[in-house]
Amino acid sequence: MSLSHLADEDLMQLVRRADAAAFEVVYERHSTAAFSLAYRMTGKRATAEDVVQEAFLSLWRSGARYDRTRGSVRTWTLGIVHNRAIDALRRATVHDKRRASDEGLEERFEARERTDVEAGRREEAREVRAALEMLPDDQSRVIELAYFGGFTHSEIAEHLDTPIGTIKGRMRLGLRKMRGQLAGMAEGMA
Amino acid sequence: MTNCEHIDTAASYVLGALPDPEVEPFVAHLATCAHCRREVAELTLAANALPLTAPPAAPPPELRGRIMTVVHSEAELLAAAGPEADRPPRPAKAKRAGLRERFGQVGFSLRPAVAALAAGFLVAVGVAGALVATRDDGTQTVPAAVKIASAPNAAATLTTDRGGHSQLRVRNMPQAGRARVYQVWLKRRGQRNPTPSTALFTVDRTGHAEVSVPENTKDAEEVLVTREPDGGSDAPTSPPVIVATKS
Repeated sequence: MSLSHLADEDLMQLVRRADAAAFEVVYERHSTAAFSLAYRMTGKRATAEDVVQEAFLSLWRSGARYDRTRGSVRTWTLGIVHNRAIDALRRATVHDKRRASDEGLEERFEARERTDVEAGRREEAREVRAALEMLPDDQSRVIELAYFGGFTHSEIAEHLDTPIGTIKGRMRLGLRKMRGQLAGMAEGMA
Repeated sequence: MTNCEHIDTAASYVLGALPDPEVEPFVAHLATCAHCRREVAELTLAANALPLTAPPAAPPPELRGRIMTVVHSEAELLAAAGPEADRPPRPAKAKRAGLRERFGQVGFSLRPAVAALAAGFLVAVGVAGALVATRDDGTQTVPAAVKIASAPNAAATLTTDRGGHSQLRVRNMPQAGRARVYQVWLKRRGQRNPTPSTALFTVDRTGHAEVSVPENTKDAEEVLVTREPDGGSDAPTSPPVIVATKS
């Protein structure tokens, strides 16, 4: 059986044994999602490339720590990308990055819809986006500032001139609503 | 289910929005609070879906090449080094365990550093005999191997006097990168892992730098340079970009 037919979790068993070919398949499967997240967060292609490179090399080097009981390879990978992107954002003295908005990304390469799996993910993405958009603005805003902007709740509170407790409450309410709407789908992503 | 005063912090935690000083106390709290653990588990499911809302953007093809070059190189070294490659030396067991724990928190492993330094050693062997200039006063200058594919003209030399005072000169080196510095390491005789020098440096616009190594290098076999986060590191977090083998 070729590597491309193996499940992510089986590929990670090989990555653990320093199998570069297996790692390349993992990269192929998840690099677009990783780059999309990194670019959404940093707003700069060069920074996003650095983040993705750091994240995948970290994944390659720490493959032995992957624990399938704690989530999918995709979730684990995107978690690493998210943490690395936050590090990159917080290393900057000011959050002066150009944000990647949904309508103004002339530089963006549109990822091709290559497989049924990709098409399925697009559908999931539409559902998640809809769930986020259904939230009251004050809740979706703090979630986006925190998750994609890399801001701490203290920074968001200061920026919005709102008590920290209120910010934390909005985050929690928003996530709980999203969780409710995505209940069926989220089980599959965990 | 919400009768814990920390329950709202769960959302901030899963979104990565908890300020650094608050992370450890909250993680400690999670160990004792089932309400917050359940809340974190629930909210994580929503947070894990957020990346799907990012507009799709394909990485450039050359990124894959850059990553796979490193991966293939490390895979070959690990294969060549055999099963002992990832095992810490016994005398340094306690220290290594501590480092593993520390790196574990930031998603890193010591394995690549060991492999990368092995790579440095192999390269250094290749250049060590190439040229050693010795002055009348015993000062020796050796060329160093520079391992940066994107900078084929980069070069470095290490000059060491009889007292073990070394100076590293680099030219045509790329910038270390945003929030990064170059850090010098000493690999001493009998030691498997390098010790950090306090010498941190950046290069000027032309890629030039002259760096005095504050530590005595008399018993060092190799002087290495890696790219590290601002402020330097206690253990290498990236492969060496310069390897100078003393004669």
